[in-house]
Amino acid sequence: MLAQLQKDWLSNARNDLLAGLVVALALIPEAIAFSIIAGVDPKVGLYASFCIAVVIAVAGGRPGMISAATGAMALVMVTLVKEHGLQYLLAATILTGVLQIIAGYVSLGSLMRFVSRSVVTGFVNALAILIFMAQLPELMGVTWHVYAMTAAGLAIIYGLPYLTRAVPSPLVTIVLLTIVAIWLDLDIRRVGDMGELPDSLPVFLLPNVPLNLETLGIIFPYALTLMTVGLLESLMTATIVDDLTETKSDKNRECVGQGIANIASGFIGGMAGCAMIGQSVINVKSGGRGRLSTLAAGIFLLIMVVFLDAWVGQIPMAALVAVMIMVSIGTFNWSSIRDLRDHPRSSSVVMLATVAVTVATHDLARGVLTGVLLSGFFFAHKVGQILYVRSQADPDGRSRSYVVSGQVFFASADRFIAAFDYREVIERVRIDVSRAHFWDITAVSALDKVVLKFRREGTEVEVIGLNEASATMVDRFAVHDKDGGEDLLLGH
Amino acid sequence: MAELHKEKILACVDQSPYADCIADYAAWAAQRIRAPLEFLHIIDRGELGASGEDHSGTIGIDAQEQLLKKLSSEDEVRLRAARETGRVFLSELRERAERAGAPEVDTRQRYGELVETLHEQEGGVQLVVLGRRGAAAETTQRDLGRNVERVVRALNRPILAVTDQFVEPKRAMFAFDGSAVTRRGVDMIANSALFPGLPILLLMSGKVGGDAAGKLDWARQRLQDAGYEVEARLVPGDAEAVIAATALKENIDLMIMGAFGHSPLRQLFFGSKTADLLRSSGIPTLLLR
Repeated sequence: MLAQLQKDWLSNARNDLLAGLVVALALIPEAIAFSIIAGVDPKVGLYASFCIAVVIAVAGGRPGMISAATGAMALVMVTLVKEHGLQYLLAATILTGVLQIIAGYVSLGSLMRFVSRSVVTGFVNALAILIFMAQLPELMGVTWHVYAMTAAGLAIIYGLPYLTRAVPSPLVTIVLLTIVAIWLDLDIRRVGDMGELPDSLPVFLLPNVPLNLETLGIIFPYALTLMTVGLLESLMTATIVDDLTETKSDKNRECVGQGIANIASGFIGGMAGCAMIGQSVINVKSGGRGRLSTLAAGIFLLIMVVFLDAWVGQIPMAALVAVMIMVSIGTFNWSSIRDLRDHPRSSSVVMLATVAVTVATHDLARGVLTGVLLSGFFFAHKVGQILYVRSQADPDGRSRSYVVSGQVFFASADRFIAAFDYREVIERVRIDVSRAHFWDITAVSALDKVVLKFRREGTEVEVIGLNEASATMVDRFAVHDKDGGEDLLLGH
Repeated sequence: MAELHKEKILACVDQSPYADCIADYAAWAAQRIRAPLEFLHIIDRGELGASGEDHSGTIGIDAQEQLLKKLSSEDEVRLRAARETGRVFLSELRERAERAGAPEVDTRQRYGELVETLHEQEGGVQLVVLGRRGAAAETTQRDLGRNVERVVRALNRPILAVTDQFVEPKRAMFAFDGSAVTRRGVDMIANSALFPGLPILLLMSGKVGGDAAGKLDWARQRLQDAGYEVEARLVPGDAEAVIAATALKENIDLMIMGAFGHSPLRQLFFGSKTADLLRSSGIPTLLLR
């Protein structure tokens, strides 16, 4: 156990600290930008990012993953903040944490296996689009200075790495653009105009809301969505970090850890957060592997923000917009556009539907639900195609044998029923289902229907070769060999 | 050549100065028991470390796919190199053991973590040979590699923990304390092919009370019946000091003792006799579980 602790924390200390610093620098603009999306003061997002990163470093199940205030979560809370204010957001944040801890203990994480690759791709694409769209208000109805600064910022962000990879280019962008803005005394929006910045260390406080059912009724739906979105993004990011580092993570511990982090965040006046895909990729890219990288990111962030608050307030919004456009471009899965041509149409539809629903509702949970349902639908449809019924009349012309192979269930039951010729004038029918599989009661009642329809025509029916699984289903639910079965099934 | 035992001797080696010596002891044991010998070299992927020169903090188009591609190709190159050096190193050890007379030598490299891998490989093994310190302990000034205790605790097989110099054992000492573990050890040695021909000094020390003398006498009798030349001694006093002093005085070059009978929790508060003994005696030790 001690050895595991040492491995998680200290095996990569130097790289972890450096990567943590790089991540902290990139987290500051994001935390501010996401606070603005949610409609709260920048300090809410900054405190949250500090708190979540520090707590998840200890409690999380995926070393090296970065969690903080995120865009996905910020988008969910917009209306709550608009209609009820910050205090209700803090209460919802705490409730989100409680729900996530419960989810962790009942192993809700294992449900992630129903989220297909197309849905994951749709999720990240929708997230990237939403982050980008959230920047647009900063670019509307402004002077040309803002456009020029944003363009210059993007040029530095993408250009500088060609010269040196030793310093984070988003930091250089922010510093340079801030200097230019102060020097030219430009009349443009700055971070300080967007709300209060942290000027002290965070303190413990209870959300100022009445503790009654009415409050619960307000915050519960939001907490439920926040829980879902937070766990979805966290578990997706954990899988991505697993792949990148070729190591394993404890998904249920991650759920519980996210919960603890959100509860802690709520109690120090921070908003709910979750794992960040972009930042985690940056962390791994910079050499961060252990828990120390996440902890360092949180602590560096707080130190920089608290001691540099006067300077942070001077950062032009154009610089943040440039950084966020980078995050959005880096999060988007560009190869998925190329893949639209090659992938099966159903996967593309799932991906596009996830994106469309998310962008339309600004709710990643709904997008993912749509995607999951659609993939289930398409899967059932595809498997339902695997059903073949062949028949052959016996030489004496008195009987016919049907051979059924494939999957019989709700999606293929109608095709199954239609595959038999009931009007054939014949004495006897033999249905061989030894190579078929009856999955559900729809399948069983379809077989009943077939048998009854033949009987009505005066044809004798013999069903042979029900394999074990099908036999249990038939035994339990079937009515064709019981009295009155005909009326019950055919309804008249 | 006599027929070989089925259960093999597993020698865990890493690329430290101990490896040669582990090979020598393992070969010595293999030759005596006439058991097949297998050298196991574990490449811990985690210890290969992360590279991180890119502090640009930028993510561009398809950042994730490109990073995955870059990291996997780095891993590929690194692991291939590690595999190659490991193979050369293992084949040298194999030759060394064969020269020393081991009847059947095999080598194996595995990715994984030391204790986990050993646990998986435990079946069909009758004796594990490992160094008291390995490459991991080279940089720190520990007397006892941190892996040793974890391995000993995790395994359910006798373990020969060797030092960095090979001396063919001529005289063995059994640190007998009357416990169930050491009593079973006596039976095991009586039936083992490893020790015949070695005089054994049965030493009982520590707080001597109760039926100590009787137990000691039983052990002496048992070993004598099995044809050993046995001397039994009952020396009250601080077990660690007595054992270390006797080993030195009597030119003992192989020690046998029970290992880690207590829980890790108890050890946290009271220390471990086993670890203390391993530290204070500079001779190869057979740890019984």
